[in-house]
Amino acid sequence: MSETDTVTDRPASAPKARARARLLQGGILLLLFALLPAVLVWFDRGYFYQLAMLALIFVLLAGSLHLVTGVAGLLHLGHAAFYGVGAYIAGLLAADHGIGFTIGLPLAGLGAAAIAFLVALPTMRLVSIYFAVATLAIGQMLFLVMQNWVAVTKGPNGVILFGGIDLFGLEIGSRLGIYYVVAVVVAVSIWVIHRLTDSYYGNALRSLREDDQCAGAMGLDTVRLKMEAFTIASFFAGIAGALWAYTTGYISPVDFDFFESILILAMVVVGGLGSLPGAILGALLLILLPEVLRDVGDVRNMLVGLVMFLSILFLPKGLFGEVPALALMRRHFDAAWPGAGERRVGWRG
Amino acid sequence: MTAALLEIEEATRRFGGLVAVNEVSTHVAEGELVGLIGPNGAGKTTLFNLISGFTPLTSGRVRYRGRDITGLKSHQIGRLGIARTFQNLRVFPNMSVFDNVSVGATGAVGLPFFRAVAGGRRRSDAISRRSLAALERVGLVAQADDLAANLAYGKRKYLEIARALAMHPDLLILDEPAAGLNESETAELAAFIRSLRDEGLTVMLVEHDMALVMSICERVVVLASGQKIADAPPDAVRRDPAVLEAYLGVDE
Repeated sequence: MSETDTVTDRPASAPKARARARLLQGGILLLLFALLPAVLVWFDRGYFYQLAMLALIFVLLAGSLHLVTGVAGLLHLGHAAFYGVGAYIAGLLAADHGIGFTIGLPLAGLGAAAIAFLVALPTMRLVSIYFAVATLAIGQMLFLVMQNWVAVTKGPNGVILFGGIDLFGLEIGSRLGIYYVVAVVVAVSIWVIHRLTDSYYGNALRSLREDDQCAGAMGLDTVRLKMEAFTIASFFAGIAGALWAYTTGYISPVDFDFFESILILAMVVVGGLGSLPGAILGALLLILLPEVLRDVGDVRNMLVGLVMFLSILFLPKGLFGEVPALALMRRHFDAAWPGAGERRVGWRG
Repeated sequence: MTAALLEIEEATRRFGGLVAVNEVSTHVAEGELVGLIGPNGAGKTTLFNLISGFTPLTSGRVRYRGRDITGLKSHQIGRLGIARTFQNLRVFPNMSVFDNVSVGATGAVGLPFFRAVAGGRRRSDAISRRSLAALERVGLVAQADDLAANLAYGKRKYLEIARALAMHPDLLILDEPAAGLNESETAELAAFIRSLRDEGLTVMLVEHDMALVMSICERVVVLASGQKIADAPPDAVRRDPAVLEAYLGVDE
């Protein structure tokens, strides 16, 4: 093997690697769209459906925060507020105006993104801890609006919305149908986040985390890139909020408070900063573990805390750290880094 | 005389009461290799920061290819074709060597987020090619997958240069590239910088190492206390009484 092979092999070009990639990608889709639904149908318990959808919603929340905090390196302490904005847009449109899923879902994402864009304008020039405190304040402000603007949000009583999900006029009432809608929306969203973070665009975002002044000298508009990451992440948080509203039928401000933001942040950190598979694993762990431990009783939350503490202690780079995650992406999800195959080009060519 | 690629007109930068750079005027012609020297605190790095948009000018102008670039942001200047390295090595430590270089290429080629989502194959191909070619140019292909933080100090210097080369710049600004290198490494670097110039790249370098500057530069600009005291070929600079005084006058 010549020494250049390490680079030319970068995108999975060999047929064998491509077959492995298909196997892995196919496996994930099979799990999400066949095996898990089969298990759900087999047990046929509403609780399991709720749990599966909750896990998927948090996979999307952690995946979107991964874009901002893990990749672009901006410590964001108010992500749950944008999740709440999406939930309230979807919930209020459904409850007060009878506008359903087909229009409500995109509006929830766009609404959260629009608010994120506006608050990000003055915030993005702040750095490190100052940025974190600013996002904390933004999260608190949005939370207080949900809590206290009773005339619109109905305040602490929350919003009840009836009816399942309508898909272009087609009413989807069955639990399995709703599960499939959530799974498709989350899968597509995660795929978009994957393209954004596991690509040269993602590398540009990573360079902001590493040294944003230096990234500027490379010709990258750092403020603009941060704005994009923040706005796009908030869009997906809004989508997650809408899914939450449609699947539970009831939303209230406490679902979107500071502790929820911290929970999402913990998922990203425990999973591995900068790693999309890590964020997904972190979300699954912190959603499913408390449920698995339900029988343990009152010490359950302490045990969850202990698992978090130990995982950070012994796996500071996360359950699935950035370096192995990027290696996996390059080997098995080649689409994001196409065509490094060509060589022997003059460096000024 | 060939057309000036970069023209600096009475560039001045004050930090409070201190005048770090005081009405410095000079130019860099296309294809030239210009050295910038001076005792500690002479304002060399500040002048580089003024050119690359890191520090705004208090007064004066900077022109690049005849275009006024005074007041442009660093990323705008980078996109025009001015690439730089840093005095205290600023590679992206938690990214692989290849990914480090890809950032320079991405900045120059541009990859908007919607293209990334759509696959962006054409641009990503260009970025891959540029990154790989830049790594080949500095001889770091074998380390492409290593984390930049794990690279030896001397190699990190070349990584920083490769990252700048991936931008396909017309003007490369090197801030003390030989700092921390031993004699043989410095000689190797000198030969490398010369070879870049021979390929048509215009290079400007700040250096403490007088021998390096004198051996490879065609023209040397000398700063002392923020002012230009000499601007001539190395031989003339070496004999310049003002330069001798500036250097010998410093107690050491």
